[in-house]
Amino acid sequence: MIEAGPILRAMTRNKLGVILITLQIAFTMTVVINAIFIINERSSLMARPSGLDEANMFYISSVGFGDDYNGPVTVADDLAMLRQLPGVENATVTNAIPVSGSGSNSGVRLSDDESAAAAFAAYYRVDEQAIDTMDLDLIAGRNFNTGDIQWREPGQDLLRQELVISRALGERLFPDRPLNDVLGETIYIAGLQPQTVIGVVNQLQGPWPTNSMVELSMLQPMPSVGGRSTYLIRTEPGERDRLMAEVEEMLVSTNENRIVRGLMSLEQTREESYRIDSAMSTVLWVVISTLIFITCMGIVGLAVFGINRRRKQIGTRRALGATRSEILSYFMTENFLVTAIGVFLGAVLTIGFSIVLTSSFNMPTMAWYYTPIGMLALIVIGQIAVLGPSSGAARTEPAIATRSV
Amino acid sequence: MLKMTDVSKVFRTELVETHALSDFSLTIDEGEFVTITGPSGCGKTTFLNIAGLLETHTSGEYLLDGTDVLSLNDYQRAKLRNQKIGFIFQSFNLMPDLNLFDNIDVPLRYRGMKSAERKERIEAALESVGLLARKKHVPSQLSGGQQQRIAIARALVGEPLFLLADEPTGNLDSNTAQGVLELLQEINEAGTTIIMVTHDQELASRSKRNIHILDGRISSPALTTVSSEPQAAAASI
Ligand SMILES: Nc1ncnc2c1ncn2[C@@H]1O[C@H](COP(=O)(O)OP(=O)(O)OP(=O)(O)O)[C@@H](O)[C@H]1O
Ligand SMILES: [Mg+2]
Repeated sequence: MIEAGPILRAMTRNKLGVILITLQIAFTMTVVINAIFIINERSSLMARPSGLDEANMFYISSVGFGDDYNGPVTVADDLAMLRQLPGVENATVTNAIPVSGSGSNSGVRLSDDESAAAAFAAYYRVDEQAIDTMDLDLIAGRNFNTGDIQWREPGQDLLRQELVISRALGERLFPDRPLNDVLGETIYIAGLQPQTVIGVVNQLQGPWPTNSMVELSMLQPMPSVGGRSTYLIRTEPGERDRLMAEVEEMLVSTNENRIVRGLMSLEQTREESYRIDSAMSTVLWVVISTLIFITCMGIVGLAVFGINRRRKQIGTRRALGATRSEILSYFMTENFLVTAIGVFLGAVLTIGFSIVLTSSFNMPTMAWYYTPIGMLALIVIGQIAVLGPSSGAARTEPAIATRSV
Repeated sequence: MLKMTDVSKVFRTELVETHALSDFSLTIDEGEFVTITGPSGCGKTTFLNIAGLLETHTSGEYLLDGTDVLSLNDYQRAKLRNQKIGFIFQSFNLMPDLNLFDNIDVPLRYRGMKSAERKERIEAALESVGLLARKKHVPSQLSGGQQQRIAIARALVGEPLFLLADEPTGNLDSNTAQGVLELLQEINEAGTTIIMVTHDQELASRSKRNIHILDGRISSPALTTVSSEPQAAAASI
């Protein structure tokens, strides 16, 4: 850095190349930092747990047809068979699967006045084994018992009044109240009897992973035994894949009046639900690496051009007493100064662009540390890029000073 | 101060070996003004490069101020060049992007000198070549003779043991060349040893000591012609 002053003064006499590379660095930094921020936002969305033991779970649907199909008996038999299969921890029947992208929700209110403000919460209509099957964490109140369950055929009125809610729903409906306090509270759902909260689970995501209200959900003890029943099964670790094949086979062979479909593990479901997000991340990574690569090429190009143009100067400097490491440091410093100007300009652009993104696309605000880390990273990348050409310059023979014309 | 014994320099390429210097032996003492002459390709620049530690010799012994330079590594040679040797080039070799002040500053920065002392020295050097008023100018704003004066100021600013000049007037017209030679003469009279390559036979024949090189060998005795009237000869250079 001993030569920063003269280097800067010399640079002002060769402005064009410096200005172009500075703009390129600033532009690259703006795009790269904002893209990384978007990727991180997406992947932290994707990384949120659903509350279920996803690694060991799968589901499959049975759709009955014909007059001979007896829904209540079939579902009872299927569940009994599933639960006693070796390797199965537990099984339940449900109307919807978390993270799958399809399910139902309803408006939840604290009064029966239908014009009152409502929170929209996903509902799972399940039996008393659901909490154990999903491996949910019951943090207040109690689970359903067998007597709470109303096996319901299509069109049948809903009678039961018990309800288990997610903690997020409890906090939304009753802000600032301890969760134990919420037990016994009555809530209103259009078309149903008033409901009483009997339990709270720590976490249970709704089926729509990108929805901002994904954490609001509830369990209702009213499984449907109509045409279509979806079984959700949790296995012992390592048994899932074997049991997926076995369960499908078993369901197909035990009843002729239904078709079996939609066999999927929860891991596959998660992957499919987030496919667009992961594709977008991949595209952004490609953009990021391409931009960085092109910028490095620009830096290397400018450095090589500048070094070749100044071969004789370098030889003269060597003749006047510059050591190899002083020549190396001359060009590293030159690059550092160019990159530093670029990243300061880039910081302004990055923050400006991020404000635009936040205000026009409803993105969360970028954390403060993105910009300084990005500045530092680009300076390091620039120094690495210019290391090769600079060490080439450092090997210049001092005799160039007298030998070249 | 500078002592060469049987110094040889061989350039090897895949096809040919060029013996640029053969069995070169000479001694140059402090305060001398030595001119080097000889036909093109005879080895003048090679001699100067070896003397100035820009190139290493192939065999023989070269003692610079008592140090055997073959034992030095690249770093030590650079430091020695910086502290003991001043170079003046035929095509001036100024940094076109730096102003005159910064140009003269180059060798001082490599010496790690404090900025106040550098400034003082640079301004004195600019003053001594009569160009202090132009210190913010860049080389392209000067005439050739002025550029060579700046190069001389740069060579002198570090107070070297000796100056090496390779045809310092080769790119100048005769009037301007005369001015530069007078300046070198003054510098020598002030005590700095100068070794200068020249094509000017007349100039060489008038100098206190001339070394004529033919095919990489010293052709006239190294002790050379000492003029009968040193004072007069010095003034006429
Ligand atoms: N790097 C090199 N590789 C191979 N041969 C070289 C190299 N440098 C110089 N030579 C050869 O060494 C010999 C001496 O060259 P040198 O430059 O010392 O001559 P010179 O006396 O300075 O000539 P001129 O008056 O034309 O400048 C020449 O034959 C030249 O071709
Ligand atoms: Mg020459």
